[in-house]
Amino acid sequence: MNPILAVGALVFMVSLMFLLPLIPGLVELRRKSDALPLQVVQQNAGEIRHFAIGFREYIKGLELTMQRCVADGTSATGTLPDGEEYVVLGRIDEPLVLALEQRDATHPVVMAAGTDLTLPPDATFSKDIYAGGQFIGGDKNIYRAILGERNVSLGNSSRVLRWVHAVGEFSAGLGCRLFGRVSSDSLIRLQADCSFLRLNAPRIEIGQASSNADATAPSLNNPANAVSGMSRRFLHDDDFEIKAGQVITSNIVIRGQLHIRSGARVCGSVKSVKDMVLEDGVAVEGSLISARKMRIGRHCAIHGPVVAERELAIASGVRCGTLELPTTVSAPRIEVEEGVVVFGTLWAREHGQVVASQ
Amino acid sequence: MIYVLYAIVFVICVYTGRHYWFTLNRLFGFQRHPYIDIDTADWPPVSVLVAAHNEEKVIANILEALMTVKYPADKMLVIPVNDRSTDRTREIIDKFVADFPGRIQPFHRVGGKGGKAAALKDAMELVDTEVILIFDADYIPGAGLIKQLVAPFFDLEVGGVMGRVVPMNAGTNLLTRLLDLERSGGYQVDQQARMNLRLVPQHGGTVAGVRLSALREIGGWNENSLTEDTDLTYRLLLNGWKTVYQNRSECYEEVPEVWPVRIKQIMRWAKGHNQAMMTYGLRLLLGKHRATLRERIDGTLLLGVYAMAPITLVGWALALGVFYQGVAPLHGVIALLSLTAYAALGNLAAFFEIAAAARLDGTRKRISLLPFLILGFGVSIFSVSRAAVSQVSDLVTGAEFHWDKTERFRKVL
Repeated sequence: MNPILAVGALVFMVSLMFLLPLIPGLVELRRKSDALPLQVVQQNAGEIRHFAIGFREYIKGLELTMQRCVADGTSATGTLPDGEEYVVLGRIDEPLVLALEQRDATHPVVMAAGTDLTLPPDATFSKDIYAGGQFIGGDKNIYRAILGERNVSLGNSSRVLRWVHAVGEFSAGLGCRLFGRVSSDSLIRLQADCSFLRLNAPRIEIGQASSNADATAPSLNNPANAVSGMSRRFLHDDDFEIKAGQVITSNIVIRGQLHIRSGARVCGSVKSVKDMVLEDGVAVEGSLISARKMRIGRHCAIHGPVVAERELAIASGVRCGTLELPTTVSAPRIEVEEGVVVFGTLWAREHGQVVASQ
Repeated sequence: MIYVLYAIVFVICVYTGRHYWFTLNRLFGFQRHPYIDIDTADWPPVSVLVAAHNEEKVIANILEALMTVKYPADKMLVIPVNDRSTDRTREIIDKFVADFPGRIQPFHRVGGKGGKAAALKDAMELVDTEVILIFDADYIPGAGLIKQLVAPFFDLEVGGVMGRVVPMNAGTNLLTRLLDLERSGGYQVDQQARMNLRLVPQHGGTVAGVRLSALREIGGWNENSLTEDTDLTYRLLLNGWKTVYQNRSECYEEVPEVWPVRIKQIMRWAKGHNQAMMTYGLRLLLGKHRATLRERIDGTLLLGVYAMAPITLVGWALALGVFYQGVAPLHGVIALLSLTAYAALGNLAAFFEIAAAARLDGTRKRISLLPFLILGFGVSIFSVSRAAVSQVSDLVTGAEFHWDKTERFRKVL
């Protein structure tokens, strides 16, 4: 072989091998098919009512139809601009509602009612529901999403797959499964054996005995802000115990396990790097954070955010936050007994469960 | 010579293992986002410092964004730290002050030492809130970002908070696309893995926060530091405070669009990082303080990342020397090949990290640009090594550090 040709072929082959991995990149550089900045959630970050607000806007086009149906006592069907079918109910004894009573029926239409809406049991609603008045759902129903302009009440063993927002009170009967977001502008009440993920309302009551919490939990006398109220902190590198009835007037950071005996009061915030246990009747005026598991005993009162990185168990009679200064209670897994009141947000990232009071 | 080469290869292997550990943790491990769910609280007062030196192209964007964030307006004070600007920065800030009375308190600095840390130090006279957030002027915070960055301060161990930086001009050219990939790897995998593993997430000095009492405890901003963020991370750690990373607290930034600006930027980072390594390295690893063993090891490795560039270059030179001397490392062909591969190519595990980050971000096609990172890698290794050499020569000659501001590419509003 001609040596010049051989060298040329070698150079060509080596260049080709070098360029080969670059070809997809060169194509992408030219086409810019994936060159937009990463999507950063700018405006709706953390807004629990985001979907409800969007749906209210979406349903606005049906406002006149709803008014007419309520006035005439009739119903109407049609298609929304995005192609979704809808049904507008003017009264609840429509033939259409009767049709809903067929067991295990699935209703793939957006449902809107300008007035009160009462739905029969054992039905599945695979599209969003709007109720201009009270919403009362039958037992064992499955909903995709509900927006209620007044109270929303779900029957026993119902399921919500995406979200519910009630302008009035929201209540879920025994054994409901609430996947996704549940919010109310006034009150959320969950009965025994309900499961949940994310709840937000000025007041969240778990079970029947919840009114006891206000009376039995220790009072928080004008608590300071959990971050700015007090900057002094006590740092301890091992396990630690706060004695029964002891009053601590500083922030506490414990790099081991923390055990707070009954009746103790911490006028500051508390952090433990390992497990944390609060016995009955403890009051914490700041935040309560555990990098592992946390167990809060009966009739405790916590003012600031409560965060457990692994699991959180809250016993009956506990009160978190106040109506004036709501807070967040959060953990991947939360077990909460009947009789607990949370003002603000109760957020179980993986699973939240209401259990019977011990 | 061969033993030095062994040592270099060993260090490169340690960094390689670290990168793989981080990436596998990020792909398969438990992900820590403990504070991101705090959406309702008695929010504390906060001061938002916006560092600005000749930022007429970008300052209006960030002030506009800050005026629309979802944080109680009566609890948030924006303090633009106008550091000796000679362009229209002051004029733009003053217009915002007039348009939003009581919400912006400007700090116009006309003299004093150069550099961000020195400017922030002087601006502290206006700060009386326990929580301080810091942004560079080219960032655009989203509506929920302030709450997200404040939330970790409910944890009393937390002295510093860092959010995620996302390039907004990613698609401009090859450089911005490579920087977009690098940022993705650095934050989506590296920082989050360190958060997951309770190691040392790094404070980035922007899209970030610091607790006032912690800052006071460690002696305030170090105006002699070229990278006040790295300096802050280590002083907090040595004093028993944690820095946490919030991967879901994302904020747009502008990355350099031309190579000379990028080279200047990375050289400044390298010098600042090396400066921190010299100041805190030994004390962190062996000193008496509250950092855990894993924090000591990870913190030391993190301090050494910019030193790896000159070390790799030395490794290349030694590998060549060994080859021409005819020495067979460890007397084995496989060892020879391994040694040559590592010494020649450095630590390629970072590429695996970036590919994993792109996958986590759900951006599939930009992974095809991965081979081009060799180019960025090559530029970085020589720039960082150059910075190290100039740093040593500055030490010998006693020359002072020169602070280079990163040029902006947005059009003036």
